[in-house]
Amino acid sequence: MDLLEPTRYAFYLLFTGDPALWRIIFTSLYCSLAAIALIAPPAVALGFLIAIVSFPGRRALVVFSQALLSFPTVVVGLVIYMLLSRQGPLGFLKLLFTPEAIIIGYMVIAFPVLVVFTLSAVQGADPRVHETARSLGARRLRAAWTTLFEVRFGVMAAVVNSFGRVVSEVGCAIMVGGNIAGLTRNIPTAIALETSKGEFAQGIALGFVLIVLALGVNVALSVPQGEGGMK
Amino acid sequence: MSIVALELKSITKSFPQRELLRGVDLALQSSNSYVLTGDNGCGKTTLMRIVAGLEPASGGAMRFEGVAIDLRRYPETLRRMLVYVHQQPYLFHTSIAHNIAYGLKMRGVPKHQRELLVGEAIAWAGVGHLTDVLPHKLSGGEKQRVALARAKVLRPRLMLLDEPTANLDSDARRQTLALIETLRHEDVTVMIASHDREIIAMPHVERLHLEAGRVSAA
Repeated sequence: MDLLEPTRYAFYLLFTGDPALWRIIFTSLYCSLAAIALIAPPAVALGFLIAIVSFPGRRALVVFSQALLSFPTVVVGLVIYMLLSRQGPLGFLKLLFTPEAIIIGYMVIAFPVLVVFTLSAVQGADPRVHETARSLGARRLRAAWTTLFEVRFGVMAAVVNSFGRVVSEVGCAIMVGGNIAGLTRNIPTAIALETSKGEFAQGIALGFVLIVLALGVNVALSVPQGEGGMK
Repeated sequence: MSIVALELKSITKSFPQRELLRGVDLALQSSNSYVLTGDNGCGKTTLMRIVAGLEPASGGAMRFEGVAIDLRRYPETLRRMLVYVHQQPYLFHTSIAHNIAYGLKMRGVPKHQRELLVGEAIAWAGVGHLTDVLPHKLSGGEKQRVALARAKVLRPRLMLLDEPTANLDSDARRQTLALIETLRHEDVTVMIASHDREIIAMPHVERLHLEAGRVSAA
């Protein structure tokens, strides 16, 4: 198989601003970023609360959250499909096969990643952080915020990890988005489609964009960390 | 006339396997300095943490500057009158200035005044040359000095210092001791848990000894 020519054509499409290709990239970014922006605050808050508050069933909730990490995304897609389909309980919203349906799916997929990583980061925090804050006069809520701030790089890693998970997700996006050109087709679903048709150029170009996105997000995370996660 | 800053009556602390404090009675006079000695594990740190509201007591009563303190519902206002410094202080992952300013910010001190006080505290602790150094790169002695500055800048009524010179090399220990020495001129009551002979031998420091769960004058 000659990969050189499709690769050359892929970059041609990319750098000449091919509208179809850039629409796919935009859809991917829009759905992924919107989902993370919407779900990160409640998920991080929940992860933090589970880490610091003792309550009956806490252990079970932690195990359940961890189990959700390995939940197949295609099953998430199936459940959301059933909920949003015309006969489903949320069918009246008419969201199936729209970018919003993909965003809902991505939120569900990202949720356990954010909760578990935040929980892990907060549980790993030095207990002296909270004590020091309290001893210096911080009230309970402010001391909690200080603890969260001290583990901010762990929380950022949770956000980046969840972004990485949704931006490269195929199963759920195809099921609830329908892979409709110009509307819900995103990078992973387009790669799957183009490759199945033997059209490698767009697949390569999109694959390249996906890798650049992943690297870019990780570089963006590492810059503020400086040396050893210090400001 | 010296007034009693802190008064403890029959403070107890029990763990499932052990009764650590068996009725501590203690009275610290305002603006005086005290050193609390005792074997490792005898409860010095626990006692200080109870006073600082970081750990609950199993029983007993506490009065601070004449006011009865409900140890089950430790008052937030008291947290702003005393400060506890860990044996190995934790410095937040930010600049030294922000570390020192933290407690002032919690007290709502205006920014311009905060900057002034932080500058004075940095000069007092002799850490002016370290302001651009990240906390994780500081030595144990430097961290201790920053932590002391962070505590002193709050002008607390009571400072609880837990083994401030433990695990420090001789230079760092000397510098920390010099800072502690200057606290005698401040209007602050100081209680230091320590094994350090030089602290124990300080002429202005009153000696207390914790043994078998009770405190006595040494």
